[in-house]
Amino acid sequence: MIDRVEEKVKITPKNIGTLVLKGGSFFGLISLVVAFSILSPFFLTLNNWLNILRQVAVLLIVACAQTMVIVSAGIDLSVGSTLALGGCLAAVAMSYWGWPFLLGALLGVTVSALVGFANGVIIAKGRIPDFISTLGMLGAVRGIALLITGGLPVPSHFTATTLRGYLPRVLIWLGSGDIGGVPVPAVIAGVMVIITWFILSRTAFGRSIYAVGGNREAARESGINVDGVKILVYTLSGLYAGIAGLVLVGRMNSANALMAEGLELQTIAAVVIGGTNLFGGEGGILGTLIGGLLIGVLGNGLNLLDVEPFWQRVVNGFIIIAVVVFDQWRRRKIST
Amino acid sequence: MVTRNPVLVLKDICKEFPGVKALNNVSLELYPGEVHALLGENGAGKSTLMKIISGIIEPDSGEMYLDGRKVQFKSPKEAMEAGVALVHQELSLVPSLSVGENIFLGRWPQGRWGVNWSYVYREARELMRKFDIDVDPRVPVRNLGVAEQQIVEILKAVSQPHVKILLLDEPTSALTEHEVERLFKLLSDIKAEGKAIVFISHKIDEALKISDRVTIIKDGEKVITEEKGNLTEKDVIYYMTGKMFESNVSSHNADPGRKAVLSVRGLSAGILKGVDLDVYAGEILVIFGILGSGRSTLARVLFGLQEYRGEVFVEGERVEIRSPLDAIRCGIGYLPEDRRKALVFQLSVGANITLASLREISRKGLLMFDKEKELAERFIDELRIRTSNSRKRVTHLSGGNQQKVLFARWLAKSPKILILDEPTRGIDVGAKFEIREIVKNITKEGKAVLYITSEALEALEVGDRIAIMRGGKITKILPNDRQLSKSDLLAEVGGVVKV
Repeated sequence: MIDRVEEKVKITPKNIGTLVLKGGSFFGLISLVVAFSILSPFFLTLNNWLNILRQVAVLLIVACAQTMVIVSAGIDLSVGSTLALGGCLAAVAMSYWGWPFLLGALLGVTVSALVGFANGVIIAKGRIPDFISTLGMLGAVRGIALLITGGLPVPSHFTATTLRGYLPRVLIWLGSGDIGGVPVPAVIAGVMVIITWFILSRTAFGRSIYAVGGNREAARESGINVDGVKILVYTLSGLYAGIAGLVLVGRMNSANALMAEGLELQTIAAVVIGGTNLFGGEGGILGTLIGGLLIGVLGNGLNLLDVEPFWQRVVNGFIIIAVVVFDQWRRRKIST
Repeated sequence: MVTRNPVLVLKDICKEFPGVKALNNVSLELYPGEVHALLGENGAGKSTLMKIISGIIEPDSGEMYLDGRKVQFKSPKEAMEAGVALVHQELSLVPSLSVGENIFLGRWPQGRWGVNWSYVYREARELMRKFDIDVDPRVPVRNLGVAEQQIVEILKAVSQPHVKILLLDEPTSALTEHEVERLFKLLSDIKAEGKAIVFISHKIDEALKISDRVTIIKDGEKVITEEKGNLTEKDVIYYMTGKMFESNVSSHNADPGRKAVLSVRGLSAGILKGVDLDVYAGEILVIFGILGSGRSTLARVLFGLQEYRGEVFVEGERVEIRSPLDAIRCGIGYLPEDRRKALVFQLSVGANITLASLREISRKGLLMFDKEKELAERFIDELRIRTSNSRKRVTHLSGGNQQKVLFARWLAKSPKILILDEPTRGIDVGAKFEIREIVKNITKEGKAVLYITSEALEALEVGDRIAIMRGGKITKILPNDRQLSKSDLLAEVGGVVKV
């Protein structure tokens, strides 16, 4: 691949230091795994790992889209709300309106993609900063989800609407089933990771994302439709959030308007831990995969060690800062 | 004047940069109450001299005396405290702050309740009144025009306590004729207060008008310091270039026999006022003009980066260019003045080369890496871009090689017309030569090149024809034959030849 910068290091004892520096967050993940394996006897079991994969799937799916957004020098703060709206709409359609699974799922995903499209149009055509547009959307879309559900879980016996049925089995399978022992959410996340990798590194559109994020003016002067790229990236972000919404509703066997709160920050953390430049133009999906896993492993490990949830938040926050500080330091180290 | 003591004396100042002797034993005396014009070609050493006086760089050898005392400035701050104020070419005001706040920036007077704003505005108003300037000190600087901002910048410099010397680097480049008059009146008032002013300009007529004495620098050496009255504009050009100029070079207009690839009629935008131009296949048409002449605006307009009025024809057909995409579809390519604006530094050399050809190297949206590699490597070879391979980051290349990457981008796209805005600026001599060769080869394939430069020598070396640009207009188009010399060109853009 021509867009990847050649950075190969031969593994020799002498080079191990450089290798650790270049690997960055990968070695962070490995050290966490080693630490938890020593501290907890349950950590290194197959069951626990399947659990981690199931827990981290939703985060990973949305983080894939966030990677594309951040590489294009944008940021999407509305992904959590969009996920909730898509999931709630699908659940409402299936359980209250009696829609079949496919139709309900299509509705949820389409509306989510439309939210992303709206973000893209506002940002590209309205010349509004990415941060502001998606911050506004974060509030507004969550509000719409609350209006649709009346603030109650879906399905619920307390709604004025007559309940036509429970959530379809296919939907629950999406969130809780498994294929040959591998959790379905993990499979879906894997597929999304591969698709995103393909888009970013193999397509002309992906190359345009890097160009727009790296130097918007240069991209425009090379004849790239900058507005079009932005709009498409945000639309994909909404679409991914919609898919993640279905998975999350299936896992919880219920939808509610307040689900996935704070997901935007977790996805941004995963992307940044993965070494993608927050100012755009460089990064990739492999880093995000590691970043997402790191966040998942950390949460799981702290749970196993019986760390209080309040403390978990504190530890989580500081670990993210530490990883990024280390990452910045190693970049400077490499460039000199 | 001779009886007075000089405020600043420079003695045998030398400064060497890698490969260039920028200043060689330059001595200069500056008297209070004079405007001293510093003239010379691009690269003659004027700016280096200014930087030394204002403490931005230190000389290798030589001495500087301020009011008879030996000084050695280690920083602009030291120079400022000693009484030397530099007014930059780029404005350095804070747009969101008011005129008064800007004038006193960094030295706001403290009162009992924080900054004493009434004092700031009283003083600012007093300053305006003294120099007869009609600007409200409470207005944010961003609401002012360029000329007014320039005046505020000068007032800011003058209002510093104990300023003795004011250095102005091309202060008139962005101003209209009327605004220049106003600036000159302000300078006379400042001069009347006994301050010394050094004035750098490429506009020879203006420099002679405002100054009392003139110093001419050529290739890092002082040629002469003379009272204005003893110099004609012709003399100035002679001292700048070592050659007399012929004032009777005749304009060479459209060639009816040939077909123009690009034609422009009545093009107006920003400072451009009705530009007519024809560029023929296989020629390099140089646009020669100084900063603020409209040369870069012309390039930006033709590439769809700025709106315009007027007509543009490509190969005889009327086209509308509203965006870079429109321009590219018409077969126009463009290298901006600042290559950093055109490169994506996070991407590889190869990806930068193919950036304008993504459609050509992909099928149904999928990149064909072998085709991309082939295209990139072809031009890496052809233009001799020095890189270990096409996957290297473009950041790691030298300035000259980065510029070649941009040439490769457009050659890969194969446009009919290539617009180059100062393509050799800021790159080393060897690469400069190579780039000129590349440009000459482009025209052999029948492409037309619009080559913008402010270097007279470069214009003469590459141009088939040279269009002189001044005040937003093409004032003359000269055939580049053997009779044309550097001094002719400098006379044309310097305002010495009246239109």
